[in-house]
Amino acid sequence: MEASHHVPVVLYLFALIAIVVFIYNIRRFLAIRIGKSDPDYKIKIIPAIFNLIYFGILQRRVFRISNIYAAIMHFLIGFGFFILLFATTVDFFLARGWFIEYLPNLDTPWFAVLNDTGGVMALIGILLALYRRHFNKPKSLPQDAFKGRGNLLGDSGILLYILVLIIGGFLSEAARLAIDMPSTAQYSWVGYQISSLLSSETWTALEQYLWWSHALLSFLIIAFIPNTKVFHTIVSTINIALTDRDLRGKVKPMFVSKLMEDPDMDPDEISLGSTKLEDFTWKQLLDSIACTECGRCTDVCPAYNTDKPLSPMKIITDIRQELYDKYLNKKDVDGIVGKPITETELWSCTTCGACTEVCPVLINHVPTFTDMRRYLVLSEGKPHPQAADSLEKTMNTGNPWGFSKSERTKWASDAGIELPLMSEKKEADVLYWVGCAGSYDPRNQKIAKAMVKILESANIDYAVLGNEESCTGDSARRLGEEYLFETLALQNIETFNKYKFNKIITPCPHCFHTIGNEYGDFEGNYEVQHHSQFIMELIESGKLKLNKYIDDNITYHDACYLGRHNGEYEAPRKVINSVLKDGKLIEMERNRKNSFCCGAGGGNMWYDIEDGERINNVRFQEAIDTGIDVVATACSFCTIMMDDAMKLKGKEDTMQVLDIAEMVASAL
Amino acid sequence: MKIGVLVKQVAGSESPLRIDSNEKWVDEGSVDFATNESDSYALEEALQIIERSGGEGEVVVISMGPADRTPKIIREALAKGGHRAIHIQEEAPYETDPFMVASIFAESIKDESFDLVLSGLQSDDLGSGQTGVILGELLGMSTATLVMGVELQDGKLRVKRELESGWFQWVTLPFPACITIQSGLNQPRYPSLKGIMGAKKKEIKSIAKGDIKVSGTPMQEFSKLYSHKAEKRTEMIEGSADQIVEKMVDIFKKEIKAI
Repeated sequence: MEASHHVPVVLYLFALIAIVVFIYNIRRFLAIRIGKSDPDYKIKIIPAIFNLIYFGILQRRVFRISNIYAAIMHFLIGFGFFILLFATTVDFFLARGWFIEYLPNLDTPWFAVLNDTGGVMALIGILLALYRRHFNKPKSLPQDAFKGRGNLLGDSGILLYILVLIIGGFLSEAARLAIDMPSTAQYSWVGYQISSLLSSETWTALEQYLWWSHALLSFLIIAFIPNTKVFHTIVSTINIALTDRDLRGKVKPMFVSKLMEDPDMDPDEISLGSTKLEDFTWKQLLDSIACTECGRCTDVCPAYNTDKPLSPMKIITDIRQELYDKYLNKKDVDGIVGKPITETELWSCTTCGACTEVCPVLINHVPTFTDMRRYLVLSEGKPHPQAADSLEKTMNTGNPWGFSKSERTKWASDAGIELPLMSEKKEADVLYWVGCAGSYDPRNQKIAKAMVKILESANIDYAVLGNEESCTGDSARRLGEEYLFETLALQNIETFNKYKFNKIITPCPHCFHTIGNEYGDFEGNYEVQHHSQFIMELIESGKLKLNKYIDDNITYHDACYLGRHNGEYEAPRKVINSVLKDGKLIEMERNRKNSFCCGAGGGNMWYDIEDGERINNVRFQEAIDTGIDVVATACSFCTIMMDDAMKLKGKEDTMQVLDIAEMVASAL
Repeated sequence: MKIGVLVKQVAGSESPLRIDSNEKWVDEGSVDFATNESDSYALEEALQIIERSGGEGEVVVISMGPADRTPKIIREALAKGGHRAIHIQEEAPYETDPFMVASIFAESIKDESFDLVLSGLQSDDLGSGQTGVILGELLGMSTATLVMGVELQDGKLRVKRELESGWFQWVTLPFPACITIQSGLNQPRYPSLKGIMGAKKKEIKSIAKGDIKVSGTPMQEFSKLYSHKAEKRTEMIEGSADQIVEKMVDIFKKEIKAI
């Protein structure tokens, strides 16, 4: 047979119509123009290409052992369609008679095998997806299978449509094989089998119907791709390319003090935080359109897993729903905080970043949530009532516990420790940032004392700020209280700048994150080390001589703001290993970047969401199940939360919660 | 409805209190100041009364205290929704006699013709609990103390007062009225940034305490400030069993006053 084959001209007309309708429907993408511009955003070409290949084409985040069913399912559908797309493109070229000498045709053996294999992969994938959607239904997925959020036909509707499409493809292939009877027909291993089921007369009679219905169904879905879940193949890919992963979890500064200096500023005219769709950046809106509703974020969310009213996926798709309602359906959308996104949903977030870590399409959830909290606090004056109390205390006393500013070093003087003060020394190699927890919380004061012992043993030239130290503003910022955060940040930066030091060390990952990653926006640039990194260096350089003494088995609980937010997983583990004698470090099931939050992050330290179980109890149970004796921590909040959970679980006689500094101090 | 709210800046509850060298006041150097707790509730109640009546009216924040630190809590009250403020500036030594304090307030706000004056039931530093009541008396207003709930009814004020042992009393008062508010009757709001920005443009009228002519004289005076001292004393009682018992009964009766 000749290489090019005949295609009726009217088909091109249908194709043209499909493309026109597709272009009309894809205008929904332009809805992101409602969003604010983002002056800080710069497209980075190399990371964009990397993201596109690694997270886009290779779908790295989809393929996780922890979600193996979905991984296989998506691989089959995704790569099945890659093959079918390739085959269809080749077929189009053949029909036009382009590059015929270089291209295989439909009956080239390897191409025929590939083509049918692609179809079978997609078919099995679709069936797996339908099974998952209706039989072993994970509860984090959208509950109405035929009604998507901003998607035509929902999940199952579009799956069934594609199923019909694939079967139709095989049937029209079978008809062609039955009629043309190419010598290599058996290589089209599915179509060939089907073709033998009916007589060639029957196939001849059906051929035109099958071919046309397959063609028209294909055009129909192409025209409506943007309206259905299939849109993710385009829009999620764009989002993956445009996401700057360096901005993961990064909260944007608002520069409130500058805003307040402006004499013409009218507080009623400006928007503080996000509630209207126009308040979000275009990228935040693109994130919402890119969501495929796979539920991976919700599956790992500590709030969701303890029955609190938060599903990160629901919030992201709420934004999309409202965006489409406004942009496509021209509905009045005033604000989305309150309805459909409730205050409790927003307060339930611990900002642990687990959602962002697993999102296959690189959505940056946490800063979007923080922006909505900012609206509640800065515009409405409505922080969580219990959080309001600690925010007011922070405002009045410089620490969220509300203890006296003038008693910040009482923990040391009570213990007979004479702390070297920056106000006296003026200059030191290391500025030891004790933090509010170390200064006031009895449990953390032990860690502060251990740190002093370590610093003294290693002969470090250090000093503390004493009463000049003030909360870094971490909780305030996560809670959306940017004004308080900025006030504290500027005040601390001013204090830092009075003295000379080479680096800041702190046992609190929240202080570490805030000073190290966020003060830079306010011209406070310092080298900051978490105590795990600092102690590890002291051990490695031989400045600390440790007696390995621990015979108990230990597990290490990763702190979100040390691990996920700052990528430090190894330093604390190395420190622990350096004091283990016969004991072993045994990992919990969820560790490192998959770690499960203690429940205190994002300001949750200061209030309780009543619903469901306490997050720290769930995490501590995981530690108990690991069969260890000691839970090692490297975070002020984690220590408090794990300690509380240990008591609530009645394990204080048999188990211990120890900060790594305490373990090291005991080994000196 | 025009409402005046008295707010006072006091030492925060966790502040260490050390006696100043003049032995008449605390050393303010180590103190973190905050708004008196029950005054926050009084302010919130005033704001809610205005909101309930459709935003008609005005809340005037009135405070007496030093010029350097008091504006902080006044601004905070304005940020929460107070419309304007009157600040009576005083320098140390601070006025501690409730009658004089009330007289100064009365003199400085008498021309405002408030329909309602609210204050916390007592200040967390001196705790005399009298200023609000005396002020009401001096301004010829009806007064009620320990108010746990406020309702406006037929042009009158109906308040729920806290009595002992979980008992309450409903009282109806004619306007103008001056009532003192018990903590816990509402949920004081958090100042929004919008409120804080807006507060910058609100009026604070400052009056020097010395410029306010008051006719009365202080009815009490602070002679010396003491701090609480915990002391342990052991007394061995010796003698026969009867003598010991007799002595112990005597101590219980006369010294411990337990029987």
